[in-house]
Amino acid sequence: MCLAIPMQIIEIDGYVARCEAKGVQRDVSLFMLQDEELAVDDFVMVHVGYAIQKVTEKDARSSWELFDEILVATENESVPEDA
Amino acid sequence: MSLNNAKHWLQKINDLELPEKIKIMNVCGGHERTISNAGIRSLLPENIELIPGPGCPVCICPEEDIFLAIQLALNEDVILIAFGDMLRVPVNVSKKEVRTLEQARANGADVRPIASPREAISIANDNRDKKIIFFAAGFETTTAPVAAMIAEGLPDNLFILLSGRLTWPAVAMLLESGEPGFDALVAPGHVSTVMGPEEWQFVIDKHHIPTAIAGFEAESMLAALYSVLRQKLDGRLFLDNCYQEVVHDGGNKTAQRYLNETMDVTDNNWRGIGIIPKSGFSLSQQYAAHDARLVFKDYSDDSRRRIGEMPAGCDCAKVVLGKIYPDQCRLYGTACQPETPIGPCMVSDEGACHIWWNTAPRKSIKQKSVSTQVEESVV
Repeated sequence: MCLAIPMQIIEIDGYVARCEAKGVQRDVSLFMLQDEELAVDDFVMVHVGYAIQKVTEKDARSSWELFDEILVATENESVPEDA
Repeated sequence: MSLNNAKHWLQKINDLELPEKIKIMNVCGGHERTISNAGIRSLLPENIELIPGPGCPVCICPEEDIFLAIQLALNEDVILIAFGDMLRVPVNVSKKEVRTLEQARANGADVRPIASPREAISIANDNRDKKIIFFAAGFETTTAPVAAMIAEGLPDNLFILLSGRLTWPAVAMLLESGEPGFDALVAPGHVSTVMGPEEWQFVIDKHHIPTAIAGFEAESMLAALYSVLRQKLDGRLFLDNCYQEVVHDGGNKTAQRYLNETMDVTDNNWRGIGIIPKSGFSLSQQYAAHDARLVFKDYSDDSRRRIGEMPAGCDCAKVVLGKIYPDQCRLYGTACQPETPIGPCMVSDEGACHIWWNTAPRKSIKQKSVSTQVEESVV
């Protein structure tokens, strides 16, 4: 349950951001990053629907590659959509 | 993954002159998954052992909490929601009785898996005439979003059955036991993201155990392994941060503030381990009206603590503490498999048994016998 995935912010509405990763969109809470300056196109590390840290684009893309590998390795397992 | 960088760290590790057996513990299911998926064990020198430790919140969630959740789901007019992994963990009752939340649902209870605390709010708002109980188990990374959810404002009909735990007290307990069973530590990346890397400084200062924080790519894991090995060889210990892109000094202060505002740190039970001082979260007094343990206090049954340890024959307690490897349990792969789990370590995606079963060869899963097929997938 400690898995987190980087997502890109595409829209911000208060403490909620529409975020995207690998073509999948989710609403993400920015409540725990309210003391950070965040803008559309920024990347955040998301865990159980909450952004826990801001990350760079480079690091986000690197993590996405890792996720591709996990998904291949676990293709017969269920992967929580927000994990 | 930066394969070249992974190869670079692997080469550096293989170039080290390691005179002794060295056992390195990780305390995060995500780390164990990285190690197992990438076949890292098979790529390291023979004298390096990687042992998974207490890194699975589902595995150590007290049996009495799961039993309580099942009873509430069955007997109260409520919607019981929980992170998906919790639904399949069996409690210690006869097979004729309801043993999991999943079975409670099959028996007519309204039990729903969720992937985010945000869903808890939505379900509560969409069902104003019902009581919603959110069974929230997890380590700091997951409990912080629960705290944020609470701080942002709870609907009147949402109640929390909190079973949050802190990771470092379990490591402290192992170290203070006199037989920690490991010589170096890979500290968890996302726990440190939230709580700050400083939480792990005690391992160096008090116990003189090499420690490095790792991320979840093989490159970061290998860098952390190299760091602790060098620390051990050189005798120069320092808390290394091999996940600097996400783990910042001090951690996420906002998240910590919400944890402090909504919860107290209390002595709590760990399944198969027992009470660990200051190792868990309880809702603070101001949220008593939303605390399922208080609101439904007639259901609490302390006697289950005596009978609620791991199931008979199951060695999950030893696996969680890193005393044995998953395949050293008598039930592993025989009576206990992911489709028919007996112990919680085979249920959860974060459980060492589940991870080993899904990533290692079935027949011989002993240390150092990971197949070349897995090896080829990495380098």
